Amino acid sequence: MSEPDEGLKILASPESAQRISRRAFMSGSVVVAVAGGSILLSACSSSSSAAGAASSGAASPTLEDQLAFLHWAAYDDPKLFKKFTQEFGPATSIDTYASNEEAITKLVAAAGSSGYDIVVPTGPYIPQMVANNLLQELDLSKIPNFKNLETVFANQPWDPGNKHSVCKDWGTVGWIVDKSQISRPINTWNDFIDVAMNEASGNFSLLDAQNEVMGVYFWANGIDWTTTDQADLDAYEAWTLQMAPHVKKFESYPGYQFASGNYALSHVWNGDARQGFNSFKDPSRYSWGMGAPKTELWMDNWTIVQGAPHPEAAYAFINFILDPANSLQDLAFHGYNTGITGVKEAAQAAGYPFLDMIFFSDAQLATMQAQEINAAFDREVQIFLKMKAAAGG
Amino acid sequence: MAQRVADSERGARRIRAPRFAMALPAWIWFVFFFTLPVLWIVYYSFGYKPDIFHPIATDKLSFDTYHEAFSSTFLHVFSQTLQISILGTALCFLIGFPFAYWLATRVAPRWRGLLLGLVVVPFFVNFLVRTIGWFILLSPNGPVSSLLQRSGIRSEPLHLLETRGAVQLGVVYNYLALMILPLFVTLDRLDPAMREASKDLGASRWKTFRQVTLPLSAPGIVAGLLLVFIPLTGDYITALVLGGAKGNMAGVMVASQFTIAQNWALGAAQAVILIAMIMGTVAVFAVIALAIRTIARANRKITLPPIVEETA
Amino acid sequence: MSALEAPAKRRRRDLVDVTLRVWGIVVYAFLFLPILVIVAYSFNNGRAMLVWSGIGLDGYRTGITDPTIQDAVKTSIVAASGTALIATVLGSFAGIALARRKGKWTVLFLALVFLILVTPEIVDAIALLIWYVRIGGPFGPNATIPAVSYGMLRLWAGHSLFATAVVTLIVRARLLGLEETLEEAAADLYAPPARRFRQITLPLMFPAVLAGALLAFALSLDDTIISSFVSVAGASPWPVYVFSAVRNVLRPEIASVSTLLLMLTLIAIASVALVLRRTGQSGGDVAKTMTVGG
Repeated sequence: MSEPDEGLKILASPESAQRISRRAFMSGSVVVAVAGGSILLSACSSSSSAAGAASSGAASPTLEDQLAFLHWAAYDDPKLFKKFTQEFGPATSIDTYASNEEAITKLVAAAGSSGYDIVVPTGPYIPQMVANNLLQELDLSKIPNFKNLETVFANQPWDPGNKHSVCKDWGTVGWIVDKSQISRPINTWNDFIDVAMNEASGNFSLLDAQNEVMGVYFWANGIDWTTTDQADLDAYEAWTLQMAPHVKKFESYPGYQFASGNYALSHVWNGDARQGFNSFKDPSRYSWGMGAPKTELWMDNWTIVQGAPHPEAAYAFINFILDPANSLQDLAFHGYNTGITGVKEAAQAAGYPFLDMIFFSDAQLATMQAQEINAAFDREVQIFLKMKAAAGG
Repeated sequence: MAQRVADSERGARRIRAPRFAMALPAWIWFVFFFTLPVLWIVYYSFGYKPDIFHPIATDKLSFDTYHEAFSSTFLHVFSQTLQISILGTALCFLIGFPFAYWLATRVAPRWRGLLLGLVVVPFFVNFLVRTIGWFILLSPNGPVSSLLQRSGIRSEPLHLLETRGAVQLGVVYNYLALMILPLFVTLDRLDPAMREASKDLGASRWKTFRQVTLPLSAPGIVAGLLLVFIPLTGDYITALVLGGAKGNMAGVMVASQFTIAQNWALGAAQAVILIAMIMGTVAVFAVIALAIRTIARANRKITLPPIVEETA
Repeated sequence: MSALEAPAKRRRRDLVDVTLRVWGIVVYAFLFLPILVIVAYSFNNGRAMLVWSGIGLDGYRTGITDPTIQDAVKTSIVAASGTALIATVLGSFAGIALARRKGKWTVLFLALVFLILVTPEIVDAIALLIWYVRIGGPFGPNATIPAVSYGMLRLWAGHSLFATAVVTLIVRARLLGLEETLEEAAADLYAPPARRFRQITLPLMFPAVLAGALLAFALSLDDTIISSFVSVAGASPWPVYVFSAVRNVLRPEIASVSTLLLMLTLIAIASVALVLRRTGQSGGDVAKTMTVGG
């Protein structure tokens, strides 16, 4: 020790020469400790969050307390979820996707650990999902309301005998146009493409789903969209690169956005278009057109994920939603035909608006074609992603 | 007394942990949750996609995926990303430097902390929500568009949303604070006496700024540029929310290989290219900056005449 | 300088001063513009956030009562608290080691920290997702850790990465700025290492630790990209909810809850600033500590 006699040297720098308050330090530590304690408490209580599980009615005693959906957006009436929770108990949670590819990616990446119970894929994607062990086999005895489904919508070619799926609803694709900005009538996909590249250039949207974009090209050119011919795919790719600079956005739910004037023309599913129309202050300013001369018939299905943590709740919900009254309420919300026997008459009797966007004539049905997942799928997805890259100007 | 000190030191020396002992937990954490996963991604970038439902296969490792990643359409996105990020960084600097200078030199010291805190407050709103704020502002039926139309400046709705311009605006906004903070800290630390001395020696204000303030604040400038350029180049959300089709940035492209195409090999390759691009650009600019500094130093060199011995 | 020149200089100085001040105000307006818009639209009484239909508190009412939103916010807060804890503990010790126990290992460690700060978040997110699925264990559905869901573990590990790096640098900067003389003095006064640490080092770096904890909390609350990739059903934090809303329909509840969260964050920061004030830190010091410049 040098210089003990030099008096007390101030060794601290000016900032630290302040009062180092023990109290302040303690209070800081308390904050940290409380935070640590609250973590454990919250983590414990997070699993018991059933919302008012006063289960009246015929509720199976073995229902879990949660039900997790991997779902499209705005696809079911939120009031129905509340009703389900009130009647049966499980609290519902929804995570959304905008295309089947997204949903499948999430499930594949999670490899059974995603934590979801119900996913709602479009029909043609189901065989591969089954082959890759993403979906559970269904025990139809747990879904007595299955009999309410019109027989024509059961037993589809992609899932004979409904081993893995039950029809949720079906629909088609077309366009919404803002007539105050586009005066030309749009009757076919060729009109759609022409307007998109000219009057609506930079002001229109395409669905953010690769199969739908593919459909636009193939239907406009009279080619079967299930083709695997490389020449066809080359032509499709060339067209996407031509189309790309005119696209404003790839948007799967443009219905509501029309009300904010975001687009003059949009590629849209019929139910989402109808939801938009329900929200417009002046519906006559817009018009909906179904795809012509050919368009899609897609069917979305309730399926239970392999490894679902709450399977009994999932069965209860599927059964619940197939009840005619609930199905009608759902239809009024999302605007797609749920395929339940008598739902069309019930909708007409209830006087819901824009029914022509939900129910189609036989002649219209004849123009609709289902998709097929085949060897061209990978290339089609990459063409779509390249189109998105090229759209960046 | 010396004996007692030596005793206690010897006691402390009995068990001596390695110097990095306290950093070991963090080190393990980093390696396990960062280094290994990222190395795994690099490993995947040499794989390929075998079929529709399997995202990756690594039995055959090759550079094929990199060939695909370097295709012209994808490269185009990288170049556009670089344009947006360089311009964005420059704009952040041009906006942020005068502001930081003002805060550090023209504001009374007791208000500086509060005003600095005020800069940071908007950034405690969620990144995504801030961007949504711009989404509302820029939308064709939004407040800015209505204002412009009503005041006669524009005749039709504002079409700024879903464009590259919107993304440029959005990224400048979202990363501005990261430029202002280090700039302020450095400028604040500058001794005003330096500037006064320079003026006393007859230098004009501009010359003082150029030859005293700017060089002295170089560390802060570098920190700000890096803190903005690097995350901006990898930006994902701003481009997704404001950009529409036109605002495609590399981050979105990489993500969509994972979220839509399920092609992990291609996504991984693109991710590696993205990181390389960022580091490469930083290296290039570092070289340029060093070159500028060497030239500036050479210019400022004063050669003193030889000392002449004065007699008596 | 003659008296004739002086007034000319003063006038020029005023112009520059005025320009700078105007610029300052412009920048503040720019920074706060979208925030004000969000707060304004939180009072939108309509169904869609973008379509204004009258002033009201519907957004707040829905935001507070909706169970999905409640879950999301709760998840966010729990995730942020855990992240702050992990980041503070790991980062503080690392920061101390970097500042007080420098050695050949320092460069390597700093390089790793730098790499973490440099990697785009999207790359982190993808890498973590694949990694979690690969190693399973506590991060998979067969986790056996009681009381904590594996989804929450995923969030804690993912968020704490960047946060720990930041806290490390903050604590290191703070300790580097303080000379070791105080600790040496304590050693000279026969204080054993543990006591030195507890009574000298720890209180000295307390402002940095507190600032770091707050920053880690805020960073975790804000984390969107990593969360949206690694989150699982039932452990989705608030930004993931907003993210999926952005991609379909935006509702006023989002603005309302965001405004409430902003208020909460500001209160938290104000409290921390108050605590730091009582240890004598000035506002500028606090800001400097938090921006790694201290």
